Amino acid sequence: MAGDHFIVIGNGPAGSQAAFTLREKAPDAEVSIITREREGCCHSHLLPKFLAGTVSKKDLFAISFDDYIKKGIKLRTGQSIVNVDISKREVLLDHKEILPFSGLIIAVGGKPRIPEPLLVFKDLLYPLKSFSETTIWQKKLLNVDSILMLGGDLTSLAVTKALLTLEKKIYFMLNEDAFWPLRFNKTLYKEVSRKLTEKGVEVLTGLKIKSIARISEDVCRVRIDDQEIEAGLIGAFFGLVPDVKFLVRSGLQIDRGILVDEYLSTGIEGIYATGDCAQIYHPELHDYWISIGTKNAKALGRLAAVNLLGGMEKTKVSKESIFDIDGIKVNTSWWSEF
Amino acid sequence: MKTSGKALAEKVKQIKESDMLSIRSESLPTWCPGCGYFGIQQGLNNAIQQLGLSHHKIVNVTGIGCAGRYAFFNDAYGLHVVHGRLLPVATGVKMANPELTVFAVGGDGDGLAIGAGHLPHMVRRNVNVNYMLFDNSTFGLTKGQISPTSPIGTVSKASPSGNVDTPLNATLMALSYGATFVARLYAGDPKHNTAIIKEGIKHEGFSIFHFYSSCVTFDKVYKTWNNLKDNVHPLPPTYDHANLKHAIDHVLEDDFSMGIIYKND
Amino acid sequence: MLKNDITVEICGTSGDGTIAAGGLLNEAMSRAGFSVIAYDSYPSEIRGFGRCVTKSRFGLEQMLAFSDKVDVLISLNDSQSYSRTPFLAKNAVVLFDNKPLAKVKEGGSIAAHVGPDANLFGVPLINLALEAGAVRKGKNLAALGAFVALFGLDPDFFRPVITNKFKTKGAEVIETNIKIFDAGFNSTLNNYGEQAVEALFAPVKNKNKGKILVSGNAAIAKGALDAGLELYFGYPITPATPIMEIMAKELPLKGGKFQLMEDEIASIGAVIGGSYAGKRAMTATSGPGLALMAEMISLGVMTEIPAVIIDAQRAGPSTGIPTKTEQSDLHAAVFGGPGDSPRIVIAPTNVKECYEYIVKSLQLAEKYQTPVIMLTDCFLNNRVENVLLPEKSSDQMKDCNIYPDNSEKGNYKRYKITESGISPRAVPGMEGFVFSSTGLEHTNDGKPADTPQIHMEMNEKRHRKILNALNDLPEPEEFSTEKLLDLGLITWGSSVGAALEATLKAQKKGLKVGMLKVPAIYPYHSDHISNFMNRCQEILIPELNFTGQLANLIGHLHKKVVLRLNQTTGEPILVCDIINRVEDILAKINK
Repeated sequence: MAGDHFIVIGNGPAGSQAAFTLREKAPDAEVSIITREREGCCHSHLLPKFLAGTVSKKDLFAISFDDYIKKGIKLRTGQSIVNVDISKREVLLDHKEILPFSGLIIAVGGKPRIPEPLLVFKDLLYPLKSFSETTIWQKKLLNVDSILMLGGDLTSLAVTKALLTLEKKIYFMLNEDAFWPLRFNKTLYKEVSRKLTEKGVEVLTGLKIKSIARISEDVCRVRIDDQEIEAGLIGAFFGLVPDVKFLVRSGLQIDRGILVDEYLSTGIEGIYATGDCAQIYHPELHDYWISIGTKNAKALGRLAAVNLLGGMEKTKVSKESIFDIDGIKVNTSWWSEF
Repeated sequence: MKTSGKALAEKVKQIKESDMLSIRSESLPTWCPGCGYFGIQQGLNNAIQQLGLSHHKIVNVTGIGCAGRYAFFNDAYGLHVVHGRLLPVATGVKMANPELTVFAVGGDGDGLAIGAGHLPHMVRRNVNVNYMLFDNSTFGLTKGQISPTSPIGTVSKASPSGNVDTPLNATLMALSYGATFVARLYAGDPKHNTAIIKEGIKHEGFSIFHFYSSCVTFDKVYKTWNNLKDNVHPLPPTYDHANLKHAIDHVLEDDFSMGIIYKND
Repeated sequence: MLKNDITVEICGTSGDGTIAAGGLLNEAMSRAGFSVIAYDSYPSEIRGFGRCVTKSRFGLEQMLAFSDKVDVLISLNDSQSYSRTPFLAKNAVVLFDNKPLAKVKEGGSIAAHVGPDANLFGVPLINLALEAGAVRKGKNLAALGAFVALFGLDPDFFRPVITNKFKTKGAEVIETNIKIFDAGFNSTLNNYGEQAVEALFAPVKNKNKGKILVSGNAAIAKGALDAGLELYFGYPITPATPIMEIMAKELPLKGGKFQLMEDEIASIGAVIGGSYAGKRAMTATSGPGLALMAEMISLGVMTEIPAVIIDAQRAGPSTGIPTKTEQSDLHAAVFGGPGDSPRIVIAPTNVKECYEYIVKSLQLAEKYQTPVIMLTDCFLNNRVENVLLPEKSSDQMKDCNIYPDNSEKGNYKRYKITESGISPRAVPGMEGFVFSSTGLEHTNDGKPADTPQIHMEMNEKRHRKILNALNDLPEPEEFSTEKLLDLGLITWGSSVGAALEATLKAQKKGLKVGMLKVPAIYPYHSDHISNFMNRCQEILIPELNFTGQLANLIGHLHKKVVLRLNQTTGEPILVCDIINRVEDILAKINK
């Protein structure tokens, strides 16, 4: 409708899909995307290949800036939202600009998860989930020869592969419980371990990190049980958790993510959450679940847009495809994508 | 003391060889016979001669109009400029070389119509220039149109039904602008004028000499010689030319008193 | 992206310290070894209103012109700077205050106006200024600090420049400003890390030794002072006023005299008077002032009195747009005034030439006893470059007057007919040479005369004299790689830089394009120009006016109709506009 201003927070697969759907179905409305990222919506599963240099920056980005401009979608990059005022129906940007909205879709995605015990070392751990994080890796790798991989989500294996092509020394701490959102059984775990060792990765198993100390710009000393190793870069690969801290005081219902019903509605009229940041109610489970993966995200993004415009489409996920990890119900399409 | 004939001859020779003889140039004035400007020129020449000013150290900056022609009738450096702009040019000359004695010579049309805007600023600058304003209330060179000082009622080709615009009073203007030497002089009295011109030249700063003159060719009614002669008179004996307020009051009441109206050294 | 050539804009209102920040930036970047060309554009309204933009291009080579796009925009006031966003280059860096004192409505921040490719860097400028210096005004310094941090520059190039800027205001003010600068620097470093943007190349140390950062106006003033100017008369008019202000301050210190006049007529009148009395005198004005001076300039022609007039052109007609640039006074400069009144018109093309040509103008005016109009324009007068100016020398002060021989004493003919047209000139104070000058046609001794013979003879003499001045005027300069050209550009004044950059670019692409720079507008080197034209299939004359005034003047020298590129945007001509036109023309030729 003319005069409507729909704001989408986040320009990941879910956010961009939501915006393009809104544009298509509401041609007269104003559609804006606010994203903290400076770059566009990227194929995050290609980031390790980009790191290895086998994928160009151009191919990394699914949608060019020109596509947004052509469609008349106002894409605000490098800008973040610090508050959503659900009563005044406006969002506040970090630079103190107030944007009123008639509809809001929150699709901020996830942020790298760092397990509780490692939080104290947060500043020394480098995740690799976004383009900007990848560029930090790129810069670091210029001066660094050894990398310690912690955790072990699926990205970690792809990154390891990339690093091997760059002829880096890799330590991989492989814990049974470190994989996220999957949990490996013993067989699978041994298989991965063997494969990594074969490729020249030094696998450290069954151990716990005691301390990490930066001794110079490009060297960290890590104490693992009784062992001490030096690594130039420590990668953290513990999966993603919803990035919704800025909503804590908004009045929206937050658990791990933003709680929404099966229509992705927050319960507040015209405010929807979708993609990795949403915790979606499953009527059969009587519980909330989190979705991970580009494919799921896109579908959910579209769904949020349709429902914001008055549709009544339900999320359809079979009970069986949802895992329970760390007390969080997770649905992921990862393995179908890798 | 009696001077011997030989000494006298020597003196005459000396004067002849120097440029102190006569400031009049070889070119004879082209003013109409009987023009008031001859009288002004005479008083001016006498003053220059009596002060012994070297001719090559005199510059006459003149405007457009009958009065402007003065530059050619004088054996001194002359710069005949464009209409109404003699005062700024004279400013440049004097500032360039303060040793020069600079005369700005122009008529009422030149100085009070087109060039009137320069007068207050010339007064403000107070550059040591002597402004000879020849006022005969006529645009003579363009054949007799009314000027800014023409009396109300003056009939001319530019005012066929008679002038309706209030005339300007240059003396009063100069006083109100704050000029430090203001003299009002009658063209027909060169002898009296010589002394006053000498005083004005010696005055450090801008001096304005407002000459009442007549245009014998185009004005047969108002500023005729007879009318002027009958009306002009000296300043009252008690007149104090150091008192500006007094001077302004006086000028407001008396249009025809001649002499140094105001002087502030 | 940003390697060896970046264009930075600072935008705000005049109350935001925009122009001051630009000045500091230019000075520091010059110290750091960059070549600098900078241009401020500001409204003619008084303080606190309207938009100020300072634009600076920094690079390795001497900068000829501005780039078409802006790589870095520093916003000191988002309500003004949003208008600059259409000029941003791809992936431009935008530095802005992300913590204004109050919340702003949608669109109130520049963040709302930039494209998705822009790199926004929010820095809490006002807050930093308030914390470090308790003055909101200091935000411009915080912004400079942030810029230095973002681009990995050495802050030590900036600190001494800031110290110098505030040196008259005492140690406390200096300290506060340095503190604010450092706060901007540190905060940005902490938030965005080192070299958040690709670093600039490291300039060569001491590369700019001996160079000074100077505007066209300041270069003109400096040149005139070095040439021993004795009298300056002026009246304020944008964009020439700074020349007058420098003269008011400096000329009396050098033994000269300065006088503010009541209008432009009075200014040029006093210049004529001063020159007549034998002193080196000048004035500076803009189009409206030049129009007022026309009658007096023609008096200078008729009386053969030197006078130097700077015409800092601005957008016309009439009052026009006082703060915008244009090259539309050429006709007025060459032809303005009653009758045939030949005078010298010369047009510098960059800041260095502003200095060189004013010296030349003062000398030519004396030698040829003529008004000389030096045509500059807002863009050239206000733009700043770091240049190596010639050492002050006695040559510059040389008296170029040709005085009469002693033998002429007593029988001096001021306007004697000579082969060169130059009649030796006496000045008041010289004994035995008394003469009169007049705006009336006159005999050889300066007496009014109206006979056909004298008028024809004198007209001829005056024109011959000015044409002879061609020998002393700067020659056209050609920039061609080949003898036969598809297209030749002929340019003048401030547009030369952009045209040359366009020409060099076209030549790099293998196009047969050459350029001729014409510094002498009148008289002009017709042989030289027509020789160039004859070697070109087409001639294109780009200039910042509507009618193609140089084309009108010299177009007849070409065998074909000359092509024109006329722009009246009020802004300097862009390299890309010239290139586009060049490629259009070549495409038609090669069809």
